[in-house]
Amino acid sequence: MNLLPTQQRGGPVVWSGIIAATCLLLFLLQHTLFLAVPFLLGIVLYYILQPPMQRLTRMGFSQNAAIMLVGSVFVLLVALAILAAIFWNSTPTTSWQDKLGIYLAGGLEFVRGTLVSLEEQFPLLRQVQLADTVNQRMSEFTGAYIQSHLTDILVSMAAWLPSLLLAPFLTFFFLRDGLRFKKFLARAVPNAFFERTLCLLHEVDQTAHRYFRGLIRLTILDTAVLAFGLWAIGVSSPLMLGLIAAVLAWVPYVGSIVGCMLVVMVASTDAPADPSVAYLAIGVFICVRLLDDFVFMPLTLGRSLHIHPLITVLMIFIGGSVAGVAGLMLVLPLLGVVMVIGETLGRLITDPRLRARHRNAMQLRARQASQDLST
Amino acid sequence: MFGLFKSPALSPRLLRLKESALFASLTPLELKIVDGLMHERRYQADEIIFDEGEEGQALYLVMSGRVIISRVHGAGREVVAELSAGSFFGDLALLDNSPRNAQTRALDNCELAVFFRADFMGLMETDPVIGYKISLALARHIARRLRDWMTGKPQIEAL
Repeated sequence: MNLLPTQQRGGPVVWSGIIAATCLLLFLLQHTLFLAVPFLLGIVLYYILQPPMQRLTRMGFSQNAAIMLVGSVFVLLVALAILAAIFWNSTPTTSWQDKLGIYLAGGLEFVRGTLVSLEEQFPLLRQVQLADTVNQRMSEFTGAYIQSHLTDILVSMAAWLPSLLLAPFLTFFFLRDGLRFKKFLARAVPNAFFERTLCLLHEVDQTAHRYFRGLIRLTILDTAVLAFGLWAIGVSSPLMLGLIAAVLAWVPYVGSIVGCMLVVMVASTDAPADPSVAYLAIGVFICVRLLDDFVFMPLTLGRSLHIHPLITVLMIFIGGSVAGVAGLMLVLPLLGVVMVIGETLGRLITDPRLRARHRNAMQLRARQASQDLST
Repeated sequence: MFGLFKSPALSPRLLRLKESALFASLTPLELKIVDGLMHERRYQADEIIFDEGEEGQALYLVMSGRVIISRVHGAGREVVAELSAGSFFGDLALLDNSPRNAQTRALDNCELAVFFRADFMGLMETDPVIGYKISLALARHIARRLRDWMTGKPQIEAL
């Protein structure tokens, strides 16, 4: 339900301000990523846990008890899912590190095999020694780069853990004080602008709600379809792979490429002698991405933000160049929220009647406050 | 521990809400839920609460003080009604976002509780029992106004 008055949309000045504000926020976000990521996770968890929490509150549970109960059930379910994934593992004797190495080797072998067959098909490629060059580059990368930077990567990943632990705390406070915070914000607004500001707060909440709910639905759909496709062509752990690829797809473009590489690595390791399985896996992946872009995305995220597709694509590029991967991932929800705020503020500031009413209210207050001052 | 079977005691504020015809049928727990959604506003005497023709987004409940409702009539303004504590106005805004058809102004310094339409709509979805109780009270209120109009009695304009 769109509650914003619909008589006019923001003009070019308002939209320039919206895009500038989004870029500024992205720039700031890049420098406060340690806080932005748990904040974002906290918001996602808030939108997942809010409906059952509200239901319990309406059953008569106190707010804190409802939050604790819903949070405990959620943690329990996540723990059960992790345990199920561990026990479902078909080859428990190999460690995660070994498995990663096996899949990496399988993927590299697939690339080598593909290049050799390409050279056989096209003599020109043999002349430029494509396979040898790529092999050499990959050996350098895997041998030197990964070994020298693996520790740094692991240390920086470990450094993220404490900030990620902030997410449940943030969720708790969002759930407990979200409504109070909204009322607190509304209290600061002058009477003349109050009703329109309530609409603004509601619309910001709805935009974020729609976006994150859409994202969760999209992830579930992507996981299910990709898992089915991979299972059909006989790739191992299709559900886990589908879930990882769907979560990676939260990052536009880059996430899809990494997801595809992952699928190819697993498929080529499962059937090292038969490259057609890996080619089929690529085909399934591309089909799912197309389905995602043209069917699922418009059904879930596309409807949620009401932004023109051209602006969406442009902002994804701008987000990527301003704030890297985080920018790619966050530019759309950020733009959605800034758009609602910008358009409403534009309307509030340019409404002469509301400003006149506000001035009148200020004069009334000043007159009443100074009533007994002069004798 | 969870207060599951405990009926919350009515605070003076909840008692004032309960006195309003709109919330008279709500239980203490339901009143507490509705109160959690309402906003408090304070208006100075002579301050405009909303204008005629403005898009309506919320219902107002008079908690203290008085408000006056008027509309343009020829060259001047015609007073439609004067409301005191316990009354509510702007009720049609809960149903749709049509323009207000009268202006409301605070007659004294007054305190109002504001029920935003989106919160009401959300309540109808998440808590239909509270939603239907408020809707029924609203329907009765509008029906009474219609009867008054049909019998030619003076009545508060629908806002």
